[in-house]
Amino acid sequence: MDVSQYLEVFIEEAKEHLQALNEHLLILEKEPENENTINEIFRAAHSLKGMAGTMGYKRMQKLTHDMENVFQEIRSGKMKVRSQLTDVLFEGLDALQEYVDNIVNTQDEGTNDNQPLIDALARELNIGLNGDGAEAEAPAPKQEEAAAAPAAAPAEAASAQASAPAVQLEVSSGSVSYAEHEKAAIIEAASQGISALEISVDLQETCLLKAARAYLVFKAVEEVGEIIKSIPDAQMIEDEKFDFNFTVVILTKAEIDDVKNRVLNVSEVKDCHITKVGFTEVEAEAPAEDKSKEEKKDAAAPAGAKAAAPAAQAAKPNAQQPAKKAVVNRSVRVDIEKLDDLMNLVSELIIAKNGLTSISLDDFGKKEKRAVFNEQIEYLERITTNIHQSVMKVRMVPIESVVNRFPRMIRDLSKKLNKPMELYMSGEETELDRTVIDEIGDPLMHILRNSADHGLESAEERIRLGKPETGSITLNAYQEGNSVVIECSDDGGGINTEKVRRKAIEKGTITEEQAEQMTEKDFIDLLFRPSFSTADTISDVSGRGVGLDVVKSKIESLSGTVECKSILGVGTTFTIRLPLTLAIIQALMVVIGQEKYAIPLGSIDTIEDIPVSDIKRVEKNEVVNLRGNVIPLVRMADILDVPGERPERDNITMVVVAKGDKKAGLIVDELIGQLEIVIKSIGKYINNSKIISGATVLGDGEIALILDANSLV
Amino acid sequence: MANILDVATPVEAKKYIAVMVHDEQYGIDINFIDNIVRMQRITRIPKSQNFFPGVINLRGEIIPVMSLRKKFGFDNDEYTPKTRILILKPEPQASIGLLVDEVKEVVSLTDEDIDHVVASEEKSTYITGVGKHAKGLVSILNVASVLAEKEGDK
Repeated sequence: MDVSQYLEVFIEEAKEHLQALNEHLLILEKEPENENTINEIFRAAHSLKGMAGTMGYKRMQKLTHDMENVFQEIRSGKMKVRSQLTDVLFEGLDALQEYVDNIVNTQDEGTNDNQPLIDALARELNIGLNGDGAEAEAPAPKQEEAAAAPAAAPAEAASAQASAPAVQLEVSSGSVSYAEHEKAAIIEAASQGISALEISVDLQETCLLKAARAYLVFKAVEEVGEIIKSIPDAQMIEDEKFDFNFTVVILTKAEIDDVKNRVLNVSEVKDCHITKVGFTEVEAEAPAEDKSKEEKKDAAAPAGAKAAAPAAQAAKPNAQQPAKKAVVNRSVRVDIEKLDDLMNLVSELIIAKNGLTSISLDDFGKKEKRAVFNEQIEYLERITTNIHQSVMKVRMVPIESVVNRFPRMIRDLSKKLNKPMELYMSGEETELDRTVIDEIGDPLMHILRNSADHGLESAEERIRLGKPETGSITLNAYQEGNSVVIECSDDGGGINTEKVRRKAIEKGTITEEQAEQMTEKDFIDLLFRPSFSTADTISDVSGRGVGLDVVKSKIESLSGTVECKSILGVGTTFTIRLPLTLAIIQALMVVIGQEKYAIPLGSIDTIEDIPVSDIKRVEKNEVVNLRGNVIPLVRMADILDVPGERPERDNITMVVVAKGDKKAGLIVDELIGQLEIVIKSIGKYINNSKIISGATVLGDGEIALILDANSLV
Repeated sequence: MANILDVATPVEAKKYIAVMVHDEQYGIDINFIDNIVRMQRITRIPKSQNFFPGVINLRGEIIPVMSLRKKFGFDNDEYTPKTRILILKPEPQASIGLLVDEVKEVVSLTDEDIDHVVASEEKSTYITGVGKHAKGLVSILNVASVLAEKEGDK
């Protein structure tokens, strides 16, 4: 067993819990009386604390613990949810997120104690419990507490909160040394009449399966108490890295003799010594304890007592694993059903293989053989297609995992910008390939921030314009054919193309003459240009364009497209189109000259057969008028420098590809048909033009190059 | 990879694959070579450097192929039954094929057998020295510089 295995699970789950906390806290902010929500929050915080403790992340555990105390009071109805409180709690979540991020990067939680935050939580708890009247007094105790905090801080937070804050625990018996949180757990337990026992177990020297015996001992004592520590730690015991003796520390109400009997009942146990962990309370120099602090202590006690159990659980053996591995693998959580499907298909595959084998053995006549053979091939084909789909499904993650942090972001932005706004999301269940999901978060966030910051007008402005005071931003995701569309729109002021035009000319991006010929859409496209990304120039004017080029290049690197539509005064919509998956695509195979090329089906609009006489010339460019649309032609043979003659034809085959609203007609010599292809790189040595996005190996071993239609439009 | 020659002690002979390009003999350190395959169908890559005839499919892997003839500025490739593609694997996941006219033999050369030449010709940057062996001279190829120079005469 490897530590990193726990770590991955921890990180995944911690993220989930944090997300749940964020979501429910948002709800709680709006519906302070919602009991379900507060229960959910409490549960998530509780699990998170336990997990952090198990992994030995003490700072994280401490902060979660303090937050949990607050939730506990809210749950029991002793405290009201106030906006100040939620602010502090959100800050707490951010700090927890920071710990998790640190852990992802370095396997260590970092050294930030977040003491101010913990103080703030204590203060909120204090204010909340003393009712509104105490609010006025708040600043005074705050200072004193801040002074007292450093004194208490080195001791465990749990103990600082739950029992007397200034008591130092001295464990007096045995050779076992305790970590701070373990001491805390022991202290808390003691206050409830639960004693801590050190059980030293000797195994018989003839014992062969030491780990198994030790496990049975663990099992036996777990029935009567809570194991908080073992020496050596559980991992080492599991790996049999100990002699014939090990020590377990448990919290239990049971009698020493009872425990002893249980242990001795395990076979091959030679002897067992139990000592009670005693401790002396050492008063630290008493900090000025004002009235409010006393009260706080009393109020916090029940919470602390309840928290003792999970804390003890958290401190279970194998807590402080020396985590050395720095890299955390990327993993996908897979629905077990998807795996079952895959498994079924693989068994079918085996059956199909057996079918084929039997054909070669059977004494069929040639003709029958061929018929049966074809049948089996078709069967095999069906299975491979299904397997492909299943495997792709396994790689798919709902877009929810990216977008679910946005409501929180919008809430914060709303507070920060002092603009009331609301985020409406739909289609979070839309699935995308994991690789795409990982990359799409930042561009989306950018667009949302843009909408919130620059798109929406201030509340006064909106009232003046007769719009609802609260601005709305909608994020809508859905699948369309082979791609996923994400629309982000706001009901703000829209893009003032006139101002963009002026600025663009001013900056020399375009000339006056060019501007004359440009459409509204062209101006909006200017915002995606890198030169327009520099701040304050355009953001002062239209409020758009900051970093949109980054958004665009990111999305294009995922073979997606981004478009922007805006109506002045009504709002702006960004439409992002992404391919469902990157590794395997459906493509149209075509022949150009003697060469075969693949055009991704996703970018193909239509395929047309047009007479040469329909080709018109507009400023040296060839175009055709197709049902009212003027489409520029691209002679692929010329673009790709295909060797050989270009025979004159009466009719040409044109593959119309689309990139957003723009279209182009690629002229090819012949169509082969649709094929599922696996994209492969052509390596880094060849200078690659943008036209070729990769290559694929066809069934007969021949290589076909994949055309990037986007670069041709 | 020039330092490979520097660190070699005089007694330790290194092995080189002797290949013909145009009518000159070149030696390539055998450690670079993953495989030698016969000439096979090469798929042209449009708009690539002229010394890359294209890519081949080697057991499902797509490998770019560089023509040493064109890289060294000789005339066009002639494909004969003796033409071979040396598959080099300088890095994992980044194989490259070198198109040569003929693979002759494996020669063992010690450092003493190699004269480090300084010539003004353009292609000499691709050569670290000239080795002498029983059947004549062999130019030792500097594989790193052959692969590194991406732009070349495009």
